[in-house]
Amino acid sequence: MSVKSRRNFLKGIGIGSLALGTGGYALSEKTQTEQKLKKHFSMIYDQTKCVGCAECEDACHSVNLVPAAQNRMFIQDRTDPLNVKERRFVRVSCQQCEDAPCVNVCPTAACHRDSITDIVTMNGDDCIGCAYCLVACPYDVRFINEETNMAENCDFCLKSRLEKGGEVPGCVEACKYDALVFGDLNDKKTIISRILEIKDSVRQKPEMGTKPSLRYIPAVRQGV
Amino acid sequence: MQMVIDMTEGFSHGHVIWGWMIGVYLVLAGASGGALVIALVRRHYSVNKENTALLKSASLIGFTTVAFGMVFLVADLHRPLYFWKILINYNFTSVMSIGVAAISIYIPLTLVVFIMAFEEEIKSILENKIKISKLTTLVVEITKILKKARPTIEFTTIFFAIVICVYTGFLISVLVRFPLLNTAVLPILFMVSGLAAGGAATRLVSYLFFEKDHHSLDMSLLHRLEWPVMFIEILLVAMLIVSLLIGNEYQKIAMQAFDVYATGWAYLFWVGVVGIGFGIPLALNFLFGSKVAHSNWAFFISGASSIVGVLCLRLFLLYAGQTFGA
Repeated sequence: MSVKSRRNFLKGIGIGSLALGTGGYALSEKTQTEQKLKKHFSMIYDQTKCVGCAECEDACHSVNLVPAAQNRMFIQDRTDPLNVKERRFVRVSCQQCEDAPCVNVCPTAACHRDSITDIVTMNGDDCIGCAYCLVACPYDVRFINEETNMAENCDFCLKSRLEKGGEVPGCVEACKYDALVFGDLNDKKTIISRILEIKDSVRQKPEMGTKPSLRYIPAVRQGV
Repeated sequence: MQMVIDMTEGFSHGHVIWGWMIGVYLVLAGASGGALVIALVRRHYSVNKENTALLKSASLIGFTTVAFGMVFLVADLHRPLYFWKILINYNFTSVMSIGVAAISIYIPLTLVVFIMAFEEEIKSILENKIKISKLTTLVVEITKILKKARPTIEFTTIFFAIVICVYTGFLISVLVRFPLLNTAVLPILFMVSGLAAGGAATRLVSYLFFEKDHHSLDMSLLHRLEWPVMFIEILLVAMLIVSLLIGNEYQKIAMQAFDVYATGWAYLFWVGVVGIGFGIPLALNFLFGSKVAHSNWAFFISGASSIVGVLCLRLFLLYAGQTFGA
């Protein structure tokens, strides 16, 4: 009896380890392929190229139909008043955080991640206009649309262009100076990935802990 | 370090997004929870299981303030007519969503506690004024069932009253952009100041409508409870200030909230919270002798200034907190 049960025990171990091993391997394979498929859209703002013409703002208005007094993005003038010869600008817009507080705090899940592109966007119908996302955003880049009374953010023109077959957001297309580059960070062959491989870039307030996706290439004075 | 690449402007352009309506709601929810916690805990430890003046006034406050608070909460929405969307869509990573779930259990509970506390009054109105015998028997049956479940209902109400007070703190302590709000003490500060406001409101309502005696056991207990609660409140506010003083660059910028030369909201703290909320009750009760301390007018002014102080604390945190963001 004891011999038999020992044999059964060993058999059990053999079959169990085989099942666990292959099963585990199959599962890990699956997650790897899933990761490959998942996209991480991002944008580069290149301060060395931006001239502050603000044509991106105009393009954003005409594409996304925001009220005239409001924007989904704007260009802030950061020129040093003591050194006006060196003009410096910066793009102010949704940073598309990987751990987005606006998505976490939205009580109706109107602010959500798009299931296909993983872009933070809005389902305006469910928005009650509580403005929790506005105050939760570490970057202060969300707003309540004056006409619809719904919260809005820059979603890389997901609803207005990408879902209708557009390749890039309106601002990127409008920029004549290649200061804006849009693409998938998880795909190493895209232009955005290749630029980030060779150029230094920074993120806005990374210490807020929300993993912002936007990358900024800062202009550095010559001779530093 | 400020770099030229850092964006220093946002879409709010320095405007406060969550305004006084949210502040008033926070006070009303806190007072409701605080009043019910005090009265129901007192009832649990008391041999007197009748509906005391304390219980009556606390349950009256408990129900009316939170119901009134809801009006402010909905009125503050940009799409108030769609408020029902919050009841059918839930997102449990959102403190607001958790709060709505808790509040939709809490409000019916406060109503039940109110009905139990005013059982005799409701019955006498039904019998003498309305005189629909079927309705009266129905209400009598309901109160019979409620009486059996009363301890369970009261314990659940205490639990949810604490949840409501604490959630209002977490609601705004998750806002990472504002160092004054994004602190660990906020939920417990809101619980304690809720007890202060709830206790003060209970004393005033009890005197006005139910019991004229300042020196009954319940009233003197409430009065004695006032000082340890205020002491803890002062301690928590001091902890909040110290955590900003010794904090990082963002927290030091947020420290300007207390500087009257930097922002007008600082007056709300020094005059409203410190002067009216803490100073006036302390002065009236300890500074001018027992003649003043035991007078009727001192009782009213002291209670009212406690409530005003709590209101000022919430408004200060909201406005000054949102003024100095990262």
